[in-house]
Amino acid sequence: RYVRQLQRLQLLFSPTAADARGARQFVEEAALDFARRHPDVVLYISPCSGPAPLLLAEYLNGTVREELIASKTSEEITQLATKLAGQSGLDIIRIRKPFHTDNPSVQGQWHPFTNKPSVLTVQGPRLQPQ
Amino acid sequence: VAKTSLTSPPWPEVKLPDPVEEAKYHAEVVQKVNKMIATGQYGRLFAVVHFASKQWKITSEDLIMMDNVLEAECGDRIRMEKVLLVGADDFTLIGRPLLGKDLVRVEATVIEKTESWPKINMRFWKRHNYQRTKIIMNPQTVLRINTIEIFPCLS
Repeated sequence: RYVRQLQRLQLLFSPTAADARGARQFVEEAALDFARRHPDVVLYISPCSGPAPLLLAEYLNGTVREELIASKTSEEITQLATKLAGQSGLDIIRIRKPFHTDNPSVQGQWHPFTNKPSVLTVQGPRLQPQ
Repeated sequence: VAKTSLTSPPWPEVKLPDPVEEAKYHAEVVQKVNKMIATGQYGRLFAVVHFASKQWKITSEDLIMMDNVLEAECGDRIRMEKVLLVGADDFTLIGRPLLGKDLVRVEATVIEKTESWPKINMRFWKRHNYQRTKIIMNPQTVLRINTIEIFPCLS
């Protein structure tokens, strides 16, 4: 049971700008292949006269990531898109531990008194059987 | 010969039991553990697995992150071999060094393939006007351990 964390990918580019050439080539050639390879990601392509071509990725958490695709070839854009499709919406910051468990101890957590004889049988200086 | 402080070693002398009795005891213990596994009397299982040049102690529903790229796509099920240790509440199975594949089965799915946070690699020499910065982002994979199963085929 695997749910992809990427919700939708919005491709904003303008059909006349010079730096959106890679985006236009991607839309013509590789967008269909990408959509078929990732059937659970919705791909919106909207030509708009914005300042620069953008690739918006929205995740199930609600986080939105914007990536510039100005002056990039279509192969680079496909690589970027596959990388975004594999990510989840968590912030990319330093994570302290590379593992996470909900049940860290199965046989009981170790404390200094495990595997030691109990107090009653140990012959101390004061404890004498009376 | 007189007994000095160095005639016998300072640790207490341990007498090993008879080998025949040992073998009987071992067989009994093995049968008991087999029966327990077959009837399914264990609760949570944990395992020590050697993966990506590191040893991890894992239970089910566990998250693990590697600093490399696996050749599996997101959502693929992976079976991990190289299991060193399997334990439950009452018994543990220790391998020397590995356990057999027909004894244990550890399954995991690839959840995420991201990059790490941008690490700064800087080289600086003083008084030489030399400064180079490089931002490194390693690819990472996140796995979730689904199940750990054991089968009663000890000997």
